[in-house]
Order: sequence, then C-alpha cells, then structure tokens
Amino acid sequence: MSTTANFQIAEEKKISRKDILFSLARVPESDRVFCGSSDGTVYQADLAAEKPEPTAFEGEIRHRPGGYVTGLALAAGNRRLVSGAYDRQLIWWDTETGKSIHRVENAHAKWIRKVVASPDGQLIASVADDMVCRLWNAGSGEPVAELRGHRIETPQYYPSMLFTCAFSPDGSRLATADKTGHIIIWDVASRKEISTLDASCMYTWDPKQRRHSIGGVRSLAFSPDGRTLVAGGIGQIGNIDHLGANARIRFFDWEKAVTIAEVEASESKGLVERLAFHPGGNWLLGCGGDNGGFAILIDPTTRKIVFEGKAPFHIHDFLLTDSPERFIAAGHNGLVVQKISGV
Amino acid sequence: MNQSQHFCGTSAHDISRRVFLSQSLAVGSGALLGTSGAVHALDEDSLNAALQKTGRNVILLWLAGGASQLETWDPKPGRPTGGPFASIPTSVPGVHFSELMPKMAKRMHRMTVIRSLNTGDGGHGTGAEMMLRGRKNEAAIQYPDLGAIVAKELGRADSKVPGYVSFYSQTEGRGSGKLSPAFLGARYAPMNLDDGSMPPNLSRLEAISDLSHQDRARLRDLLSARFASGRETETMRSHSAAYARVHGLMSSEPLFDIEKEPKWIRDRYGPSLFGQQALMARRMIEAGVSFVRVSRAWWDSHGQNFETHAEMVPELDHVMATLMDDLDQRGLLDSTLVVAFGEFGRTPGVNASLGRDHFANAWSAAMFGCGLQAGAVYGKTDDDGNTVTEDEVGAGELFATILAAIGINPNKEYHVGARPIPLVNPGIKPIRSLLA
Repeated sequence: MSTTANFQIAEEKKISRKDILFSLARVPESDRVFCGSSDGTVYQADLAAEKPEPTAFEGEIRHRPGGYVTGLALAAGNRRLVSGAYDRQLIWWDTETGKSIHRVENAHAKWIRKVVASPDGQLIASVADDMVCRLWNAGSGEPVAELRGHRIETPQYYPSMLFTCAFSPDGSRLATADKTGHIIIWDVASRKEISTLDASCMYTWDPKQRRHSIGGVRSLAFSPDGRTLVAGGIGQIGNIDHLGANARIRFFDWEKAVTIAEVEASESKGLVERLAFHPGGNWLLGCGGDNGGFAILIDPTTRKIVFEGKAPFHIHDFLLTDSPERFIAAGHNGLVVQKISGV
Repeated sequence: MNQSQHFCGTSAHDISRRVFLSQSLAVGSGALLGTSGAVHALDEDSLNAALQKTGRNVILLWLAGGASQLETWDPKPGRPTGGPFASIPTSVPGVHFSELMPKMAKRMHRMTVIRSLNTGDGGHGTGAEMMLRGRKNEAAIQYPDLGAIVAKELGRADSKVPGYVSFYSQTEGRGSGKLSPAFLGARYAPMNLDDGSMPPNLSRLEAISDLSHQDRARLRDLLSARFASGRETETMRSHSAAYARVHGLMSSEPLFDIEKEPKWIRDRYGPSLFGQQALMARRMIEAGVSFVRVSRAWWDSHGQNFETHAEMVPELDHVMATLMDDLDQRGLLDSTLVVAFGEFGRTPGVNASLGRDHFANAWSAAMFGCGLQAGAVYGKTDDDGNTVTEDEVGAGELFATILAAIGINPNKEYHVGARPIPLVNPGIKPIRSLLA
C-alpha cells in the first residue's frame, strides 16, 4: 500500500484463496474470525496462527453451494453466528462447535445482501433484494418485524436491490440503502420510517448507450456520536461495462435530512463496499474496489481524504480489531490483516 | 426534411425514401451493387414460388454485447464458475435453466437450446460480423447478413412492406457486425430503426394533401404506362415496382404505430423498450415483413455481471415468453422462427469486479418456432462451462440450421460474376437432429 501525508497502511498477513470472501465477523478480544464465501460456506480462521488455514463450518443445515454468503453477525454473547446468503437463507451457527443449529429457509424472497447485529446483540437485521429489511430475535431466530419502504423497482421498471444496512451506535436507529440511492432511517422501537436521504448520485442509469444500470449505495456507517451517517458507493459511470468511476462517500446530517459533504476519491475506482469510523472518531475508513482494491482514510472533521491507496484485492468487507489501527479485510481471492500507522 | 434521419440501407449510411427509390431502380436495371459482379440467383422464379408456399419469417433477438450462457441457458450452479444464481427445472425433465428464466423454463418443451457454440471470436465487431453471416467476411468478398438473405429468399416481390427491419435503439455496439446485403443489393438492406420505433420521413409531407398525393401517383402511373408501352423491359417493370414499394412503405405507417395495438397486449409485453419492440416485430411479421432484428444492448458485463443479468435476464425471459405465446395465439408460431443470441457468451471465470468477460468457446443460443424440434437441447459443456464436450456447433452450423428451419436450402448458391457463392461455406451443414 502507499502513503499519503502522515498515513500509511501496511499489510501484516495475507491468506490467498481461490474463492471470494464477502463477509466477516470477529469474536472481540480474539484473533478468531469468520468469513462468508462465494462457495456458500462459512469459514473460521485463527489469525494468530503463523499460517492461518480457514476451516469450514459444517452441519446438516448449510447454505446452497454457490449461494454467496454476504452477511455475518455475531449474536447471543458471541455464542451464535448468523449468516445470510444469496440462497435467501439465514442460518444460526454455534460458534464453539461450528455446527449449524437453526435456519430460516426463506428469510427473504431474493438475495440477502447484508446481516448486522444491533449494538446490544438482541436483534439481527437482514436486507435483501426483495427490498425488505427484516428484524430477527438474535437468540431464537424468530421474526420480530419487517420494514418496508424501498421501492421494488427502479424508476426504469427494473428490479431494484437493497444492498446494505447499519444500526446507530445506541441501537435506536437503523439505516437501509438501495440501488437507486434511496436511504431510509428507521426508528427501531416503533419500526417507523423517520427520515429519508438521497444518494442517487451513486446510481447510474444509462438510457442510451447500454440501457441498464449499475452502482447504488453499498455501505453505511453512523459516526460514533450517532449524528452523522455516511453512505459509500461510486460516482456516475460513463461506461457501465466496468466500475469505471471514482469511489464516492456522502456525509449526511440524517436528523435534518441534509447532505453535509461529498467526498470523491481521486485515485480509487470502484465501489465503497464497507465504511467504519474509528471508535474515537479519528478517521473514517472506506474500502472496496473494481478490478483492484483500495482503502481510503477520511478526516471526519474536515471531510477530506487523508490517505488513499491500493489494497491487495477488491475488498468486500473489513472489520476493525480491538486495536482500531489494525483491520482485517476480506475480498477477491483473499483475506488480509492491515495496519494503519501515522494516525 | 431532416436529412439526418431516413430509412437506412446500411448501418453506416442513412438512405432516404428518395435514395431508396433510386437504388431500387438500380437493382432492377441490373446495375452493379455491393461488389463488382451482378447477382444471379440460380432459380429465382421457383424460389419465389417456394417462399409463397412456406410464408416463413424470422425474428432475431440480438443480445448485443454478449449475454452470459451461465445466467441463462446453461447454468452451472454450485461450481466455482457457476456464480450465485440457482438453476431451476424446466418443462423438459433433466433440463435446467438459470433461476432468472422461470417463464422460459415453463416453455422449454416448445423451444430449442444449443449449448455447444464454439465460435472462437471474442471480439465485439468481428464476432458480430461472423454470427450475423455464419462466417467471416473475406478481403475479396463481403457476405450478406442473415436478414438480407431471408428478405431475398422469403420476401414477396410484390410486398408493400419492407422485407428486413432492424431495431437497435442503444448506441453501444450498433455498428458491430455491419448489417449489409452485400452483393444482394440495396433492395435487401435493412430498414434501420435506431432512434425510435417509427421510421422518420415516412409520412406524406404536410404541404401535400392526400388528394394531391394520390393525383400525383395516378399521373406518374399514367405517364409511366404510356412510356412503357412497347418498351416491355425489366427496367420498366422495376421502375414501377420501386414506386409501388415506396407507396407501400408510406401506407404502412400504421404498422410502426404501437398505439394501434390494444392496451392489454402492450401491457402484456411490458413497459420496456425491448418488449415494445418485440411487439412491433410481431406486428411486422404479421404484416409480411420477412426478417426483423430486435436488438437488446448491452450485455457486456465486465463489472457486476450478476447484477446486470439480474436486471436484464428477467426482461429477456418475459419478452421471449410473451412473444412465444402471442405468436402461438395468432397462429404465427408455425411460420415464424425466433432466435436469440449475440456475438458471444461470457467467461466462466469471475473477475475481481464480479464480472464476466468475453467468451466464444462454449456458449449458447436459443430458438423457437417453425422448423425446429421442440424441447431439444443440443450439445454439452463441461462441468465448469469452460469447453464444449459434445456436439460442437460453429457459427456456420447455426446459420445453416436457421436457414434450413425456415425452408431455405443452405447449399443454395448465388453467383457474383462467375464466382459461385454458397449461402454457407462448403462443408457446413445444418444440425439435422434439431430440424422438424
């Protein structure tokens, strides 16, 4: 990786793989991580090992082979891992035995794109291309509520997609975002929609040259104080055969439903697949990619990019570790531990 | 008159009604067109009789940019190359399609799929040129495309509607393949509808009343008849025929007006441009157009292949299924062949942008309608879709099969000067087992 100003991101450990890793979860205060794969398998790995070798979770209940596992969330005091996949299933796993113990077979009618746990660990939220966000009891797997507000179709009458969701730090709010750049803030207790935000700049519909669409809001994160919401994606694309535009991040004051700032990368092309704030608010990290990968650090105060560099591969998910300067990233053909220095 | 919008004789050069007329006259007078030799079909009279007997026609759903065989007709679920979509059973036991095609899956018993295309050319332009001709052009000779051949072989000489219409509304890849009648002459060039579904300049000029327009036609007929008296030549006949065609085209304006269709039928095809143009293709076939290409661009999903196909394949599935049902209900399915393919398929390997790239070594085409064995799947690829393992089919074999299905002998020869030009290259045969 490269260096900008005083910042540097360096690779500490890399595991090469043949599959694509789409999702990550990690047991706090440990080096144990879980990864969701393009082969429909959930893997676990001990990153403290000199040469970590991920092993597959097993059980009679499994995701369909090839059903990309795009969401992982720990629940019930980290004793349970919930996985969601393109096969429309949610599966509860025992993190100690690595065995599946419960599933919701048709949790959604279309691909599940993201699974997150509420900060108190009581709720699981899942979003899917059926354009519904569902809340689940994290322990029992029972359905709790469904949040409907995203349009099924794009303005051009094609199926839309509901890519991502994020809880606010206090767990009272849940944000969901779709392909057309429509973002909804939900009150978790009442299940009511309380605000909508616009990031349609991240959705490209090409009506003339190629007549289809690309893009959308791929990542969301609340600031540690819960007042700012950031959305990640990609800018308007000229040639939508490729992810050929710069990565883009939009800052919102979600309570006022206004855009505070928009940050466009200068060197990083592709989708911002994941966003996370430093717990102390020191920086905002965004990762993603096109045919290659990137990592971007933004100063949340000035909303300026302070670091932009290449990642070893297109990153689909990352997690900050207990030491937030170290993060674990998963993506195309690999898993990597990276360290941010100069912060 | 806006000179930039006309009927087109080639994709590169628009041809106005007036130019169309002059070219038609030139064909009739035996002028050289396309190449340096005149064209002599071997048995034109008997051919015309045969085409009136068969009355067959073709709709080509041109999947420009290259749709993925793995997300349509030849899924490989659970394989490293298979992507995230599941497969679903079809109405033919043992045959599965991508889950994105539930409507066509229910109609598999009425269609034919070739899963073993190995056409070897992964270039947009060169691949399209080959797939539209069944072979590559040569330095010394340019071959007519499928639509031109069908228009010539199956078009009625007295038809008042165009023989060959091509829709291509998107701009990407529009020039790929260069539709051309080549040595067959401009008479068989496509009417290109690129910037809308209604041909520009088709309407009578507002300054000329309908009565005046008819009077002018009558006067021209009178003068022509007087001039032709005692001069019974091919040129004279062609001259009158060309004017008749132009008047026919002008009177066929309602053909291009989709509002003439009941709303429930328009709704059935769906709101997409592709659906509406497929409906127009049916209207044209019904009115006697021999060949209609409906292009759906652009499938070139180097990035986000699965989301692109999640968006575009359901549309293809819906439009194909609706077209099949509509043709069937109107009694047109026994005389219409619908074929769906593009210039190539897509790589089994998934790139880092979750895309698939160009791939011409193991891909698929789909067909339904006249002349085919329904419910047939021909050819096979390996478990990961990297190679053809059974019954390899090249562009020429596919081309020959299409011709044979609509009653055109692929071995028929044209002559350009002294050179015999077969419709397909020597040795190329149709897939007999797919023909009804």
